[in-house]
Order: sequence, then C-alpha cells, then structure tokens
Amino acid sequence: MSLLVLDGVTKAFGGLVAVDGLSLDVRPGEIFALIGPNGAGKSTTFNLISGLLGPDRGRIVLDGADITEITPASRAHLGIGRTFQLMQPFHDMTVVENVMTGELFGHTVPKSLAEARRDAEAICHMVGLDQLVNRDVTGLGVANLKRLEIARALATHPRLLLLDEVMAGLTPTEARQAVAVIRQVRETEVTVLLIDHVMSSVRDLADRVAVLNFGKKIAEGSFQTVAADPDVIEAYLGTEEGDTHQH
Amino acid sequence: MLIFGVLRSGLYSLASVGLALSVGVIGIVNFAHGEFLMLGAYMGYWLFASYGVDPLAAIPLGAAGIFLIGSLTYRSAIQRVLRAPELNQMLLTFGISIFLQNLAIILWTGDPRVATVSYKATAVSLGPFTVGLPQLLVFAVAMTLTLSLYAVLGRTRIGKAMRAVAQNRLGASLLGIEVDRVYLLAFGLSTALAGTAGLMITLQLSVSPFIGLLYTLKAFAIIVIAGLGNINGVIYASLVLGLSEAFVEFYVPQGGGWAEGVFFLLILLVLLVRPQGLFK
Amino acid sequence: MSGRQAVQVLALAVVLVAAVAFPFWANRTQPYYLQIAINIISFAILALSWDMLARTGQLSLAHAAFYGLGAYTSALVTTRMGLPIFLGMLLGSLVAVVVAAGLGMLTLRLRGIYFAIGTLAFSETLRVVTNQLRFTGGATGLVVPPLLGGQRVPQYLLILAVLLLAVVVSWMVNRSRWHFAFTAIRTNEAVAGAMGVDVVRFKVLAFMISAFFAGITGAYYAHVFLFISPIEVYSLAVSVGALVAPIFGGLYTTAGPILGAVVLRVGEEILRSTVQRGYPIIYGLILALVILYMPRGLIGVWASVKSGLATGRKETREPAGP
Repeated sequence: MSLLVLDGVTKAFGGLVAVDGLSLDVRPGEIFALIGPNGAGKSTTFNLISGLLGPDRGRIVLDGADITEITPASRAHLGIGRTFQLMQPFHDMTVVENVMTGELFGHTVPKSLAEARRDAEAICHMVGLDQLVNRDVTGLGVANLKRLEIARALATHPRLLLLDEVMAGLTPTEARQAVAVIRQVRETEVTVLLIDHVMSSVRDLADRVAVLNFGKKIAEGSFQTVAADPDVIEAYLGTEEGDTHQH
Repeated sequence: MLIFGVLRSGLYSLASVGLALSVGVIGIVNFAHGEFLMLGAYMGYWLFASYGVDPLAAIPLGAAGIFLIGSLTYRSAIQRVLRAPELNQMLLTFGISIFLQNLAIILWTGDPRVATVSYKATAVSLGPFTVGLPQLLVFAVAMTLTLSLYAVLGRTRIGKAMRAVAQNRLGASLLGIEVDRVYLLAFGLSTALAGTAGLMITLQLSVSPFIGLLYTLKAFAIIVIAGLGNINGVIYASLVLGLSEAFVEFYVPQGGGWAEGVFFLLILLVLLVRPQGLFK
Repeated sequence: MSGRQAVQVLALAVVLVAAVAFPFWANRTQPYYLQIAINIISFAILALSWDMLARTGQLSLAHAAFYGLGAYTSALVTTRMGLPIFLGMLLGSLVAVVVAAGLGMLTLRLRGIYFAIGTLAFSETLRVVTNQLRFTGGATGLVVPPLLGGQRVPQYLLILAVLLLAVVVSWMVNRSRWHFAFTAIRTNEAVAGAMGVDVVRFKVLAFMISAFFAGITGAYYAHVFLFISPIEVYSLAVSVGALVAPIFGGLYTTAGPILGAVVLRVGEEILRSTVQRGYPIIYGLILALVILYMPRGLIGVWASVKSGLATGRKETREPAGP
C-alpha cells in the first residue's frame, strides 16, 4: 500500500498551470525524488501536499485517508513534515525553541515544555546543531539554517518528510553530511520525498525519481532510467543554464 | 445629489492620491498624511487672514512649503525605516501624526478657523442645478491637479522613474535610477498634494488641528477601495466614496451622522470581500 | 531558588504590598493621586491586553471597540434592565469577547497594515452606530451608576485585581506552549501551520483574551467615571494609547507594557500640569524616537545596559562548522 498518493492534482495561478494533472505514488520507507527544471511545479506540489495551497482538481491521499481538504496543521498531525526552500526560521526564538515548536505542536503526543526541550535537543544533536541550541537564529549561516529546517520538520515526527532543496547552497562537504542525515532519517522508518537540483545527491539517495516539466510528469523510475530518458534530457538541455551541475 | 457627490469626490481624489503615491512608490502607509493636509489648510488660512491671499492663488507657495516640510520629514525619519518591519513604519508615521496634530494645537489652539473669501456664498447654475462657486472651483482645481499627476507619472522621465521604482527597486537602481532621490521626491510630492487639498479646504470648511485624522481615514478608505498602491484607481474610488456619502446623506433619515460611518463600512467590506481593491 | 530569583520575588512582593497599601495612604492625604493611579492601572491593563494580541502578529487598532463595547453593554444593562453592576461588567466583557471572536474570524486573512486599517474601520463604525442610535443615548452619552458605592479605595483594589489577573494570564501565555504558537504565528503563519500549529484557533483565542481585558476595563471606566459618550470610549486615543505603551515599554513581554503605561501616564500628568494644551505631543515624539532609536523599548534598553555591565563575557560565535 502507498503512503502518499496524488491523483490527477492540478493547480493554476491565473492563466499559468503550475501543476497539471499530476499523479504520484510514494511507498512507505522509500526515498523519492522530485526533479525538474526551475518552474516545473515542484515547490507548488510540496505546497499542495502540505496544505498551504488547495488544488483546483484532484485528490491527495495519505495512508488511505483523503487529506485534500484539511488544514496544514491537521496534515502535520497526520504525519506530514516539511522544510522550506527559502529558509524561514522563527526569529525571536533560539535554535532549540524553533525545534521545540515542532515537538509541541507537530504531532498528537502531548509533551511538557521540559520533554519537548529534551527531545528537541536530541534532534539538534542528530542534525549537527548541538553547538548552537541556545543561539538566536538571526545570523546563522546557510548550512545551519538548512539543518534547522530539517530539525524542525523532524520534530513534528513525520511519517512523510518533504525536503525542499535542502542541499542547495551547501559546500560539497556539507552536502555529504546532509545526505548522511537523510539516510539516518530513513533508518527511523520515515519516508522521504525530496526536491533537489544537486544531481549527485539525488543519485546517491533516491530509490525512485519522478521528473516534472511544465507541471507534468514526464518520466519516473530509477535515477539511471530517467537520466537516460530522451524527454528528460531535452527538458533540461532546453531550459537550463546551470542547475544540473554535478558536485 | 449626484452633483454633490461628484463635486466632493474631486477633493477626495486630491486628498488621497498623494497617499496612493506614497504607498505605491515607496511602500510607506503614511498615517500622518492628513496632518500634512491640515498644515496646508493652516498655511492657506494664515496667508488669507494676514495677507489677504486667496487660497487658490496660494497654491504654488503652499504646495512648495508643504513639499519642504514633507521632504524634511522623509530625510529625518521615514528614510530610516524603509527596510524596517511594516509595524515600525506604520508606528513611526503614527507618531509623526500625533506630533504634528498636537504641535498645531500648541501653535494655533484647537479652535476652528474659517477663511471667508468674498465668493464663499456665490452660487452658479449648471443647467438645471445650482452649486456653490467654491465647490466648483475646488473640484476643477483638484481634478486638474490629480489628472496632471497622472500625466506626470505617465509621460515624464521622473514619472517613469517613479513607476519603475514602484515596480522593482533593485531593477530600477540597476538602470541607474537614484532610488533614494525618487523616494524623496515622491514623498515630498505626496505631502504637497495633501497640503494643496488642505488649501482647497479653507475655501469651503473650517480649519482645525483635528481635520487631519478624518482625511487620513478617508484617504485610507479610498486607497483601500482602489487597491493599495493603485494610483490610477483613486479617481474612481473617490467617486464611489463621494457618491455613497451623498446618497446616505440624502436618503437616510439623520443621514448626516450616518454618512460619517459610510467610509468605514466601505473599508471594512472591501477588505473583507476583496482585499486587493475594487479597481485592480 | 537562586539568589537572583530570591531578589526578584522579594522585589515583586514589595511592589505588590506597596500597590495594595497605596490607596489607604492616598485616600487620606492625596485623593487625586488615587484617581490617577486608577487611570494608570486601567491603561496598563489595556496595554497588556493589546500586547497579548500583538504576540500573534495582529496589530489591532480596535481596542477602543472592545473598551467601548464593555462600557456600553454594562451601562445599558445596569441602567435599562437594572442588573447588578458586577453582572453588567461581566456581560460587558463577554460581549467584547464574542464580538472579538467574530472580528477575529473575519480578519484572519488580513495582514499587517490591512489588519490595522480594517480593525480601525471596525472600531469607528461602532462609534458612528452608537452615536446614531437612540437607545445608546446617541451623541449625548449615558449617565452610569457608580461601582461599589463610588468609594475610591475598593474601586482601586478591584482594578488592581484585574491587572493582577491580566499579569498572570500574560505570564502564563509567555511561559507555556502558547508562547511557541504565538511567536511562530507572528513570525510566519504558513510555516507555523505546516509545523502543526492551529493558526486559526490561536489567533482567535488571542483576540478573545485581549478583548476580555479591554472590555472589562471599559466597563470599569463607565462605572467609575459615571458618564460615557461614543466620542470618548470609542476614541482613537484609546486604541493608540493601548499600542504606544507596549512599544515604549517593550513588546511581547509582561513587564514592558505595564512599565510603558506607568511611565507614559506619569509623564503625561506632569506635562498636563505644565504645558496644559497639546501635551499628547509627547506621545508622538516618544513613538517616533522609540521606533528610530530604541526598537526594543525600555525593557530592551535595560537588557543592553545589563549585558553592557557584564563585561568580559565573550560573544558566543557560531562555529565555522566541523
């Protein structure tokens, strides 16, 4: 049985169809990558899954339950956690407080502030933020902000983790660390759906890959299969300047 | 009734187009907008009472004076919060508003002043209708100025620069437009337009330190109806406000009191139903 | 308990004892001071109530609306229906809470300046309506029966008790999971929602808590000053005062709004007796200067003074990464 199913999901902004009849099928325990040129509709797809946007048509099903109409908060409680491409930490909070917010609200197990703090600190440790738990988030560098994004999402104890370009802007070393963290997350039986432009990371991580172009799915399969697909090659060569770079 | 509403909307356009300019170009919602109008009105009253200058003839001087005060305000305060959170911008202009209003109370007391021009009670007939000459003059001048502002924005280099900055600050600066100068000019112009509207007010109504708030709120109503930052929608929005006020005054019992509430209700409805404005 | 905490608790106890003892002294020697103290405390409750709403990012210009609703409801049910005053005040604050829930739902989508303008419009609409209706006494206003037989000392103690309640609520909000929800919503609603925070619920709840305190303060005002009119209780000055004090004192804290309210009102009293007219100019100046030069308010200044004193402590720097 699938963990997440998108069934003919469509979303248009004015005249622009950002996601066009998209169907996806993510299985429990896998790492699934969504790739495609800029503007292909990847981030819109994430917003539709996490509930920040409502689709014009189509259904979204999590573990057999239709979640198309429910609020982002309810989806979080059902087990969808996500990061944001443009890092959006809560200012006016320290690193650990940012993560605690997920521990306190992101799932249905009630926790005291002390328990939430303890668990949040453990997550900070896991993603490599243990030196910074009591820092204000203002002034953190890109790599640490990306770690914080992952930590906050993990704190909601997701069954499905949506990672929106967590590798972008990282040095090769930092990207390798992030790959290790994501592998570790999968060990805890969390299913991962990720968007990324860093092809080497996608190749190393993803069990399956779907390629979007102009809101439509043009290929799906293992990394090797889609990389060899002529449509995919054309989509990238036709529009890209430097996004397919390999590290 | 129609004529009444239309005539009034002329002054409303002039009083609010400056605020639309400030919001549209600089992105500053100026709560002190009405206070600049109030200062203009006092300037008109003072020139009239001391030197017998007709408020209409005082427009160039008055506008220049308020432009100067507005530019000073921009340089000493507004400029520093351009990148600050919206809350800070709003509160800063709020502070300026309270400051200017009470400064006026200290300088000129809270008593209302009236400038009685010789043609104050003169009426003219327009076909079957009779309207006051001051109202007609105010409408004509206000519409001329508002339309000239549109022409300036549409045709001249500086107008194009303003529109470019309004659309994309970074892009405009890359094109070699000095964004800061444009902002200064836009803010000065915005306040000068309010000041001119204030001068017009001395022709028909009394002047007091408290009129500023009322016009700030009306200007808000108009730019909210037009869509925040939509300069071209201001004339239509002013018509909507002027006509609905006149309608309530004429057809609702005790309409004078209810008319006061019309614009608040309009703001509330537009914000709740169509937050992007009616004319956008 | 550490030494510092002990000092803090002791200081709080001293303030509390002084606040409770004050009216018994003032009533004999300086009755006018008692009236000022009542004013200051009411203002502090309004400021704290505004701040609790602002913690969710909702910058209200509608505090006069809740204040006025409290005042008018209580005045009307006590004079027209003969209900006891305490019941009237309770009903007044309940009406404010219910209206706040409705307004909160309606304005959920409005952000920043739109929210401010929308709430201002709501408040002014109420003023105009009250002004026009006959059963509210119209523009002339209403004469209101006195609370607690018009005795200042018990009146003072009552409003002090309301302030204490507001302090406790504010303190609990800032030290519980609510603090995380409020701050998250204020910083970024979309992210807060995606992290499981029920944005609608907390925003509306904040509105209701805030309106409760504004409403009860308005009702109290009516029964202490015995006369209300639309222009007075639905005045923009009420809404502006409620926001200037927290900004001056320090936003999103419990002590800041109270400190701001006390300093502003005392300053205003001194100014009122020296310049007579136009004294609110100081509000304008303070607001502008605070925004330009001390964006974190008095509390922020105090914090930087403290950290400045603790010299030799190194800034914790972000490690360059492993």
